[in-house]
Amino acid sequence: MKKPASATDPLWYKDAIIYELHVRAFADSNGDGIGDFPGLLSRLDYLQDLGVTCVWLLPFFPSPLRDDGYDIANYVDVNPSYGTLDDFKTFLDAAHQRNMQVMIELVINHTSDQHPWFKAARLAPPGSAARAMYVWSNTDQLYKDVRIIFTDTEKSNWTWDDVAKAYYWHRFFSYQPDLNFDNPVVMEEVLKAMRFWLDLGVDALRIDAIPYLVERDGTSCENLPETHRVVKTIRTAIDADYANRLILAEANQWPADVRPYFGNGDECQMAFHFPLMPRIYMALRQEDRLPITDIMAQTPAIPDNCQWGLFLRNHDELTLEMVTDDERDYMYIAYSTDPRMRVNVGIRRRLAPLVDNNRRRIELLNSLLLSFPGTPILYYGDEIGMGDNIYLGDRNGVRTPMQWNSDRNAGFSKCDPARLYLPVVMDPIYGYQAVNVEAQLSDQSSLLHWTRNMIALRKLFQVFGRGSLSFLNPLNGKILAYLRVLERSDGSRETVLCVANLSRFAQPAALDLAGHSGAEPVEMLGYVPFPTITEAPYVLTLAPYSFLWLELQPASVKPVQSSSRLPAS
Amino acid sequence: MATADPVSDMTAQADHTGAGLLVLLAPMTQEQLQGMLAHLTASFPAESLLVFSPDALPPDSDPALRFAAVPATSTSWTLNAADFVNAYHLAEENKARAVLMLGPESSSLDLSALHSLAHAVLAAPTDLAVSCYDLPPYAGLVNSAILYPLTRALFASPVRYPLAPDICLSLRMAERLAGVAQRFTATNQADAPLWPVNEAAVAGFDIGQFDVGPRLQHQPTGPGLNTILPLVTGSLFADIDAKAAFWQRFRPFPAVHNAIATSHIHTGGASPDTTPMLQTFRLAYTNLQEIWSLVLPPSSLLGLKRLAATDGVAFRMPDSLWARIVYDFLLAYRLRTINRGHLLGALIPLYLAWVASHINITTSGSDTESHIEAVAAAFEAEKTYIVSRWRWPDRFNS
Repeated sequence: MKKPASATDPLWYKDAIIYELHVRAFADSNGDGIGDFPGLLSRLDYLQDLGVTCVWLLPFFPSPLRDDGYDIANYVDVNPSYGTLDDFKTFLDAAHQRNMQVMIELVINHTSDQHPWFKAARLAPPGSAARAMYVWSNTDQLYKDVRIIFTDTEKSNWTWDDVAKAYYWHRFFSYQPDLNFDNPVVMEEVLKAMRFWLDLGVDALRIDAIPYLVERDGTSCENLPETHRVVKTIRTAIDADYANRLILAEANQWPADVRPYFGNGDECQMAFHFPLMPRIYMALRQEDRLPITDIMAQTPAIPDNCQWGLFLRNHDELTLEMVTDDERDYMYIAYSTDPRMRVNVGIRRRLAPLVDNNRRRIELLNSLLLSFPGTPILYYGDEIGMGDNIYLGDRNGVRTPMQWNSDRNAGFSKCDPARLYLPVVMDPIYGYQAVNVEAQLSDQSSLLHWTRNMIALRKLFQVFGRGSLSFLNPLNGKILAYLRVLERSDGSRETVLCVANLSRFAQPAALDLAGHSGAEPVEMLGYVPFPTITEAPYVLTLAPYSFLWLELQPASVKPVQSSSRLPAS
Repeated sequence: MATADPVSDMTAQADHTGAGLLVLLAPMTQEQLQGMLAHLTASFPAESLLVFSPDALPPDSDPALRFAAVPATSTSWTLNAADFVNAYHLAEENKARAVLMLGPESSSLDLSALHSLAHAVLAAPTDLAVSCYDLPPYAGLVNSAILYPLTRALFASPVRYPLAPDICLSLRMAERLAGVAQRFTATNQADAPLWPVNEAAVAGFDIGQFDVGPRLQHQPTGPGLNTILPLVTGSLFADIDAKAAFWQRFRPFPAVHNAIATSHIHTGGASPDTTPMLQTFRLAYTNLQEIWSLVLPPSSLLGLKRLAATDGVAFRMPDSLWARIVYDFLLAYRLRTINRGHLLGALIPLYLAWVASHINITTSGSDTESHIEAVAAAFEAEKTYIVSRWRWPDRFNS
């Protein structure tokens, strides 16, 4: 039976706070050392209190887990390590009861080499329907100019299969053969899997590796028109049968190349803004707003029903594919002094270690995440400043168990510590004894409380998710200042001025706000009225790494400062 | 009020040619119903009137009156979610332009006043017409102490009885409330109260307030203050939480059509004994310190300490202290600082302290409405306090 949409607003994703987590890493209910759906269910209240409105689950399907679940062996079931399909349904219902949406992965560029389709394809004769589920060639010279993504492990995008006596195509690891979207049966099977989850009530689908779905010789095999036809087919199928659902595109591309994935509002409703993320880190390191303003200037407008997905960190490396060579060199030098911190074309570190665990820097970056145009996506553990483990292979260093308390295994599991799927972080700075949810919940000044307050504040102002962006250009390049404006159809208007100091020292800023002369800024966190804006430059002084969010209110509605007097005796 | 599956057995008598005014009545005696129907038919053309009641049609009723019986499954003392769902379904089905909902004991109202309520909506542009009652001095104090001042301060609405059981709705107002109500009925909370004034404020609908004179208050069977206060306060807190993005923005005072001729002045009279209230407060001051200190900032705790040491007749709770206490409980409710049931239970002794203070103030010369207005004004003055605490709920600096 098809479940109706849990969201009532078709544009719900514009106001969402998305929280990315791996079921395996979040909470273990049965003591086997692996997180599971009942464990996640037990932590839903925590996410609700944090202010999360959409939970993004990394792949939880049956899989050999050679690529953390992105090598799927069965699209329509739950990996037994994480629970059962009924456990998933229970979790989904519980999330919906808390007015939270759920996003899952639609990994359709490739499967595991252990998927029954691939096992059958290897044995099937060339030209047969079973064989045609994947991309085969008698030569590894086809598509020979296509770049290799996992440069650390793969030397070619082709791998010879002795059983099939042919090469199969894979854009990622060799155990992840690419599906052949030129075969209509593949599309049918993908839609069947998609409907399976949407019928259960899943609200959103993140389409993994979307640029690589279709291959054509003589091209980069990325962002091809045929790929967009596939995406449109998926969107059409969703719109025909389901209301208020979302597709989020993972396209690690330049903004101009990502733009077509929105189509005319008829492909994906959301796409990640990959190039912004490294430039935020670059701007912080250089104490200069230019990297940010430059990439935003290159960001094209998108249809009204579409939205950028913004993030500071995620389950992968801090990718440096979408930067220039010089910028990449700078980022490597600045943020990964130890070569073990690097993987593929990026840096495998969490947010807190990237900024040397400096609370002000963490807050500053989060303030940008929460106030830039788009929907913020938080990576699990970053709300408490979790660290990483660069001695673990691949990207596992940023996929360690969630740190709930200072008990054994960080409260993640009651198992023998040796049985954990990955060891908990134990170093003296980021170790679970020092950094954990329980401790931060009891500390009113903790990063967790700060994050929760900031999320709640953002949710009060729709302008952050739906408003326009325009940069101010103060002479001081260490100051990043921008206006967010939302004009509603009913004539109401929200205007917010955001000012951030990217420097480690206090900085002055003189802002040209003459266009808002007469308005009265109100500092949004403390509800503090600021001096009225005039034609003259508006002068502010910002503490190191500080930021200000000021709501520009019409003069007549200025709040009165509440006194902090003691009660009358 | 009439609730649940309302249309199954009414269509035989009530045809579908469209009703100007649809009236939903709560259960009442045959005599009361007869009087009510007589007045309604005298006030409105029978052809534009459609009445639903859980009671049978009295034998001597006007034959031209379109009347239908609907089953009453709820004995709630105020309008609840199921009532609003039913009201909209009936209004839509019968193409009504306005829905007059009359709660328990509505027969005690000055019936001519009902005409004002209905006429305001029928004549447009009012979407929500709310009754303003002339109640005895110490009646409805939960409303006076919490519901009214909170609603007035946060939603900029001077409606004196935001939970009034006698209201009139435009069709679009009924639709909006039904939409909200369905979220409760879908989760088996059909008895949950709704907050029409808040909804109308958020929607930008026109609100009118009409003096309807004295009214008998329905005495709920069973639940006392320990049940009622957590129920209505918790419901209002939840509604305020859900509408935070609206009320935290300063807005011009919305136009509320206020048809109250004069404020109700009540002074003197027999005063309740405040001794048990103050005993409860002082006992709670000893026993609930731990909970209060989780909710209230040091300045409020200090204020309570002074109050606990004050003698009975001199007992006065400053209006600003009360406003901040209610705001801090609202915040703790939002943050789930402690179990919400325990939290609202811990508010009761503080409320009783306010009541004792209110009685002391009014028996020493001030009229009740003046004090209630002063309290409401304190809530308005402290609005910045709740906004800043809401946004940065750190008790360190208060």
